[in-house]
Amino acid sequence: MRKIYFGVFFTALCYLASAGCAPQKMYYFGNYSKSLYSFEKNQNDKSLIKHKQELETIITESESRNLPVPPGIYAELGYVNLKSNNSKEAIRLFQAESQLYPESRHLMDRLIQSATSKNDPSSK
Amino acid sequence: MKKYTYLILGILVVPLLSACASRIKMTTKLAEFPLMYEERPASILILPPMNESTAADAKEYYSTTIQEPLAFAGYYTFPYPITSEILKMEGIYDTELLVNLPLSKFKEYFGADAVLFTTIKKWDLSYVVLASTLTVSIDCKLKSTTSNQTLWKYTGTVVVDLSGGNTGGGLAGLIAKVIVAAVQSAVADYVPHARQANYRALSSMPYGKYHPGYNKDQQAKFFDQTPEANKTK
Repeated sequence: MRKIYFGVFFTALCYLASAGCAPQKMYYFGNYSKSLYSFEKNQNDKSLIKHKQELETIITESESRNLPVPPGIYAELGYVNLKSNNSKEAIRLFQAESQLYPESRHLMDRLIQSATSKNDPSSK
Repeated sequence: MKKYTYLILGILVVPLLSACASRIKMTTKLAEFPLMYEERPASILILPPMNESTAADAKEYYSTTIQEPLAFAGYYTFPYPITSEILKMEGIYDTELLVNLPLSKFKEYFGADAVLFTTIKKWDLSYVVLASTLTVSIDCKLKSTTSNQTLWKYTGTVVVDLSGGNTGGGLAGLIAKVIVAAVQSAVADYVPHARQANYRALSSMPYGKYHPGYNKDQQAKFFDQTPEANKTK
């Protein structure tokens, strides 16, 4: 008798689990949202380094899986580099974003401009 | 034994009945959001959400988990950590300040085809012995930066089961599950659940240009959950 109750419970759980099916694999996002959340909640050097590593992992993993790097990832890593005064690498990443996603060109050009003039927009 | 068969049948049938009772109707993406197919926005700027819920964290949970489902729907999403900081530098801390701003500004500054406005109405966690749930009520509007029109919207409530998959193992498994749910609540690690809520809220959005189903989903059906009172048409 108890078995049947659990059977019912199990079926109900399966319904719930299947409702949240994972989407098809277009991109590799890794632990992006978790890592970004931790950083937003607790902005310090440690969480920034962790989030930067996550962004780098997403790029290398995407490449090894033959997937395009998801929208915004190159740009975000570029921004992290810009903030730590690594303008050269920042520009390279902004260009990569702009090339992969032409929709970003307008914003990337702005960011490249501010990186070139080493005028960090966030320091204002 | 037979008694339980009825019980199982009952469990299977009840959701069907309740669906009829609340008069949820099927509609197509084209019928509901024709402007999406006319304007075909490719890029979306996510604005910081307005939080009307009592949960202080709701804003961060929402904003850190919205990019991923939008990207998977085929859109270019501007990197939120950058755009939100730029908006802050421009003195815009709250989306409330943007509501009456001409949207063409976002086209000029970011090059965005559309902006996503979101209001978090409710963000509730409830713990019951067997099923802990996260209930998220949001109101989203995707507005065009060229025509100022609302291209897509979602008003509704998503309930996410926090207990995850079945761990099995009968009663002992159940107890373990309850403990797991309790521990999870302690560390407040709701990111995956917040992301799941966002995935579901976006399910009626027509696919964008990076999705293989782009411009092929006009006749795709979905359950229209928008309350009649909220309809503009």
